[in-house]
Amino acid sequence: MKKQKIYCFLAGAVLMASLAACGGGAKESSASGTSGKTEAESGKEESSGKAEAPDSADSGSIRMSWWGGDSRHEATLKALDAYMAENPGVKIESEYGAWSGWTDKIATQLAGASAPDVLQINWNWIYQFSSDGKGFYDLKQSKDDFDFSQYDENLLEQMTIDGKLQAIPIATTGKAFFWNQQTWEKAGLSVPKSFSELLAAGPIFKEKLGDDYYPMAAGEYDLMMLLTYYMQESYDKPWVENGAISYTKDELADGFDFLKKLEENHVIPSQEKMKGDGADSIDKNPNFIDGHYAGLYEWDSAVSKMQGALADGQTLVLGEYPADYGKPSTIYKISMGFALSKDTKNPKADLKLLDYLLNGEGVKTLGLERGIPASKAAQKTLSEEGKLEGLVYEANKAASKNYRFTLSPYYEDSKLKDPSEGAYYEIMDNMSYDHEDSKELAQQMIDAVNELESSKA
Amino acid sequence: MENGGKRGNHFFRENRGFFFILPWLFGFILFKGYPFLSSLFYSFTDFHLFEGIHRIGLQNYQEIFRNKKILAAFATTFRYAFMTVPLKLCFALFVAYILNFQLKGVKLFRTAYYIPSILGGSVAISVLWKAIFKDNGIINLFLSFFGVQGPNWLANKGTALFIICLLRVWQFGSSMVIFLVALKSVSPDLYEAASLDGAGKWRQFFSITVPLITPVIFYNLVTQLVQAFQEFNGPYIITQGGPRGATTLVSLLIYNNAFKKYEMGMASAEAWVLFLILLLFTLILQRSQKHWVYYSDEEV
Repeated sequence: MKKQKIYCFLAGAVLMASLAACGGGAKESSASGTSGKTEAESGKEESSGKAEAPDSADSGSIRMSWWGGDSRHEATLKALDAYMAENPGVKIESEYGAWSGWTDKIATQLAGASAPDVLQINWNWIYQFSSDGKGFYDLKQSKDDFDFSQYDENLLEQMTIDGKLQAIPIATTGKAFFWNQQTWEKAGLSVPKSFSELLAAGPIFKEKLGDDYYPMAAGEYDLMMLLTYYMQESYDKPWVENGAISYTKDELADGFDFLKKLEENHVIPSQEKMKGDGADSIDKNPNFIDGHYAGLYEWDSAVSKMQGALADGQTLVLGEYPADYGKPSTIYKISMGFALSKDTKNPKADLKLLDYLLNGEGVKTLGLERGIPASKAAQKTLSEEGKLEGLVYEANKAASKNYRFTLSPYYEDSKLKDPSEGAYYEIMDNMSYDHEDSKELAQQMIDAVNELESSKA
Repeated sequence: MENGGKRGNHFFRENRGFFFILPWLFGFILFKGYPFLSSLFYSFTDFHLFEGIHRIGLQNYQEIFRNKKILAAFATTFRYAFMTVPLKLCFALFVAYILNFQLKGVKLFRTAYYIPSILGGSVAISVLWKAIFKDNGIINLFLSFFGVQGPNWLANKGTALFIICLLRVWQFGSSMVIFLVALKSVSPDLYEAASLDGAGKWRQFFSITVPLITPVIFYNLVTQLVQAFQEFNGPYIITQGGPRGATTLVSLLIYNNAFKKYEMGMASAEAWVLFLILLLFTLILQRSQKHWVYYSDEEV
């Protein structure tokens, strides 16, 4: 074969391949795109006005982003449409999607100075992305543009770094136990009130319903929080104190023994089984949806999503906090906040919108989609509307009564919590996949947590 | 003035080729050259997206050769590349050989076999792959008809990498098309002559076809090797690098360091080590050409 000919046809082949690649790429971006625009703005796409009247609260363009499930998206879009109808000078561009990959997206936007004007953020993000308080707009500069009096000082304090208010707390959330009533009934059991009942239920599920039925489902991070619950209840100490884990190696080994017992007693599926289900999260797991996994230790703010995922005829009920080993001590924290980008052009307009969503009329539309609101005005509105009830509300109330220790702001740092790289995941997989010794696991946990805490000190 | 104008025209005429490529050159420098060189600079720093940047010399590179997790990711990437590339090339050549015969409906088959390559790199196909191989997916459902309980393909350390490899091998269409063009360029006279001399199909294949298409085998080998070492979509979407790091390829590790840990310095160093490995392999293959690649216009 002549060299020239070879080059000619290779060039042609490469051209073909690159054209095919272009086609694939285009598909990819549309498939992964999760941003959207609200109905009200669709007709006026052309007249973007970022630069117009930067100091006016009633005009201009606002980019806003959040993550969540479908019901949260629908409610938020509806509230934004209503706001734009009331404020025709304001155009809101919304960017929303599922939690999976959201942190990466926001981190990239923040680093590239292309973050939306208004962002829904996780509580720990203020420590992760703004450790010096300069990562987000300091809301103390705009005290008069938002009704901060609706929030407990304590909550605002938790959102403050180096004297700079980083975000407005949207809601508090706590971990609670939820059980699939129908599956438990099918197993001939009432929902468990203690860990001993839960441990006894495993073999009964296996015998009566089959090998693939479990009283509870827990991924690696759920296991981590179950461990925290168990440790705080058993040893009456917070998970982290004075920048270090508060338990001895032996105490933590006892915690890992407890988790191992859950797996051995057929209470929770192994991590191999959970991963084999091929779902990104429990609410998308077919075994949870059809009731094979009959319980969760879940955030109250996420329970609507979980309930919504269940197949028809199945309901989640709130469980009691098990108190076998001491006084219950669940995890309770600010679930999320709204922050403004440090580069926002019009904080007045941003804050007017947030005041509408968090303290004003928007509360009626948003309901409990982001958990129980931290705003007193919102709580009053929802109470008058009769919306401050139901599973989310009951769970939040129970969690607020059963929490005793404040969570370290670094508990959820991505070095610990990230599914691909986080230490929690690695250690829990060491336990579930490799059945490593509890003392070894305890040491790994102590090393990981203490290293992170000291690096942030 | 006039002289100046003439000089300008002359300069333009002499260098017009350069002006034609100027837009490309501008894009190349801005979007390839600059990031390429800046990543080299960052690889000698501890650049963290949210915690600033300091020069740390070779520390990142030392860490790469000390850290067991990173070394494991490189080892997994080697395994992945050395499993997928030969399998894919053999399969592509085999199918191309079959499709080179004048069979009925051969055009339809060629299109059908090429389709996975068009779809192959997309997120949707990775999601589909995940659905096929999950615990209660189509494969295990199929096996259960024969009373066989399939393994937990995606969650098992022993099988997960194989599933990711399979996705890449399935996308053999583009290599197949290139092989097909090469096979068509082999003169039928050679086969006829060999046949008259009593050579069977296998003999013809190994003594005529393979030597004559070695330049294309070489091209496919280099490009496929480079692509395999850079594979990202499959492990990212199907297994997220799990279980237990069994499918954490270097590209995924780079992504995790850059966008999950925000450690751009370390990510840049890993990217450079990967680049150097690929450069080394390409040079070795380039050097090896004289021993096994046959160009018909070369002096013998």
